[in-house]
Amino acid sequence: MSAAVQGLRMTTLRLSKEADEPAEATAPGGDEALLSRRALAGDRAAWDVLVARHHRRVVVSLLARGVRVDRAQELAQETWARLIQQQQRGLLTELRLPNLALTQAAFLAADDARRARRESITGAVDELPERHHPVDPSVSAERRLLSEEQLSRAHAALAQVSPSARNVFLLACDGQELPHAEVASRVGLSVQRVRQILCEVRKKLRTALEEEPHA
Amino acid sequence: MLKPHLTRDAAEQYILGALAPEKAASLEAHTLECEPCARLLQEEALLSEQLEEVASAFPREAPVLRPARWDTRRVAVGAALATAASLALVLLSGGQRSTSPDAIATPTPPSLAGLEVEAGEPRTIVVACPDLATQASCTQSAEERGLLVQYPWGTGEVPRYEARTGLPEGALSARRPVSL
Ligand SMILES: [Zn+2]
Repeated sequence: MSAAVQGLRMTTLRLSKEADEPAEATAPGGDEALLSRRALAGDRAAWDVLVARHHRRVVVSLLARGVRVDRAQELAQETWARLIQQQQRGLLTELRLPNLALTQAAFLAADDARRARRESITGAVDELPERHHPVDPSVSAERRLLSEEQLSRAHAALAQVSPSARNVFLLACDGQELPHAEVASRVGLSVQRVRQILCEVRKKLRTALEEEPHA
Repeated sequence: MLKPHLTRDAAEQYILGALAPEKAASLEAHTLECEPCARLLQEEALLSEQLEEVASAFPREAPVLRPARWDTRRVAVGAALATAASLALVLLSGGQRSTSPDAIATPTPPSLAGLEVEAGEPRTIVVACPDLATQASCTQSAEERGLLVQYPWGTGEVPRYEARTGLPEGALSARRPVSL
């Protein structure tokens, strides 16, 4: 199915917009599909753009799992190397980012932890067979971090912030990894202000998430 | 001697990618030597991941709707305000009905499933995606469905293959679940 569907989906959006707006700036989400397709075809430049876009998220996801920051950087690099390698071997049929990269990274982190455990027991590092298994691209990295209750508390808190602040937050956290500069230009604010807003919303949501659920 | 401990603020800035490279590097170096600060950094990272989940599960408002040619056509607004999960579409019907501008903003009841389509041909289907927070996903859904997209800066033409490819509709929409 995917070949036909992809062929259609990749058709570029033709917009009658001002020519001075570079496509990258106006549609980082919109060009993701095109980039993914080019990356799947082995286009290194497309990979570079995608890696640059999603690398930070991969690192953060590893830090969130308790990986040390130096190792997180290494594993994130390794993640991309693995994905590119899988693509070169024809093992990647689709490229949904950031999910696929997050899945690969989580896999590497788990593998790392297993090796560390084994090492501490036997004193020797076995090359684990799992290391060579590619991640199934159809597997979703979705990992529920929040309970329904936390989620609804956070949503209630989010509903109470100003619409423009909410807009900024949703733009910055919608999985497209829009750079703050891009968020800023879309909403007509400075990068500084965007980050301020993000921190404010973050604090409110942190509080909402931390609230002790009452019986 | 260890450098000063992380403030939560600095950890947050680091996670957001807002620290200058030297500052980021010294923060990283510190967390490698200081367990409590490493945990602080982990907490901030975890919060970020949680916020991604919060954002992706947040019910997006239905984009509001400004069809390209609303002065010339009867417009049925499929307001999905209550049914937040569905993409709100504006259907510009090319029919022969009255062109009363009053018809423009009339929300249809949810029972119409957010859509009302004139039977007659030709018709133009326009999606408006003016809401910044949902613009990208809205555009993408539209693109996938071969609809015309109304941008703040104009109308984009996207291929309309929905009814003609013979592909099962599920195959198209299932490609990329869109959270609206
Ligand atoms: Zn410290």
